[in-house]
Amino acid sequence: MASPLQQFEIKTIASAHVGGVNISFTNSSLFMLIAITAITAFLVIGVRKRAMVPGRLQSLAELSYEFIAGLVRDNVGHAGRAYFPFIFTLFMFILFCNTIGLIPYTFTVTSHIIVTFALAAVVFIGVTIIGIARHRMKWFSYFFPPGAPLYMAPLLVPIEVLSYLARPVTLSLRLFANMMAGHTMLKVFAGFVIALGLFGVAPLVILIALYMLELIVAVLQAFVFTILTCLYLHDALHLH
Amino acid sequence: MTGRDPDRPERPLSDLRARIARLRARDAEAKVGRSGRADISGSGVVLRVGIELVGTLAVGVAIGWGLDRWLLVVFFFLGAAAGVLNVYRAVSPIGLAPGYRPDGDADRDAGGEGPGGGTDEKR
Repeated sequence: MASPLQQFEIKTIASAHVGGVNISFTNSSLFMLIAITAITAFLVIGVRKRAMVPGRLQSLAELSYEFIAGLVRDNVGHAGRAYFPFIFTLFMFILFCNTIGLIPYTFTVTSHIIVTFALAAVVFIGVTIIGIARHRMKWFSYFFPPGAPLYMAPLLVPIEVLSYLARPVTLSLRLFANMMAGHTMLKVFAGFVIALGLFGVAPLVILIALYMLELIVAVLQAFVFTILTCLYLHDALHLH
Repeated sequence: MTGRDPDRPERPLSDLRARIARLRARDAEAKVGRSGRADISGSGVVLRVGIELVGTLAVGVAIGWGLDRWLLVVFFFLGAAAGVLNVYRAVSPIGLAPGYRPDGDADRDAGGEGPGGGTDEKR
């Protein structure tokens, strides 16, 4: 039986080293490329007809657009509209990476912490820059909770700063842990199906249920990542 | 748009401009309240709480480790405190922003101490 962790192995497709940095094209890059191609095809083909009465694909494309537009409007407010393209791209990328990874024989890009951390770091750095650019020095008041007595500052400010610095870590860990744990569990139960032979029907039933759960988790984690990005952006734009 | 809505049968396109303007106005005045935020606490609370706690503690320890052996002790406890704070924020409906009460209660309710603390930090 193959190791349940074998599916996370990075395989080099085209090796490339530039100045000591490994920039090889791997199966991870391949599936990122597939996800981006799928998103572009889905949206471009979906809205190509520009029908007044949308068809199935156009409905889906419009639905995903309006879903994120509503999310940004409700959680960030009017000022967040400028950041809609980024948030929409982020959501679609994570959603497609998660769901494409559930197809057998594919690779789940988001099951690697370096990928999710890179996404979270972009969000974190971007949100911090937006906050400082918008509020200048006033932004630093973010680390002191309003209403707290001033003599508590030496204790509260380091705690708030740490809590803020932990954001990219927890944001990336959540997506990575959910994807990795789910896929490992699927592989373990799939191994049971083969190993038990005729009695493998029992784990097979569980496997089907688990697969449904993983499908929910894949969509939900894309949503959670997006909504947390929206909340961070809201805090950067409006402070307290 | 599909005309399947029984309440709104086929509407002429002539008032489209007015409808767009009305929707835009609604968008603009829509108040962003933390109460209106989508509830994300229901799913995988256990995993979420664990990640918040351990992740924040790890950041604190990493910073302490990088700074000094003595500061490691200090940052361990600060990280633990920040972790608990993050867990509290993750499971409470207040949201992720600093502050210990919902948006509805203004800082003014706190008896003038809040705005004072805020202005001091601005400098």
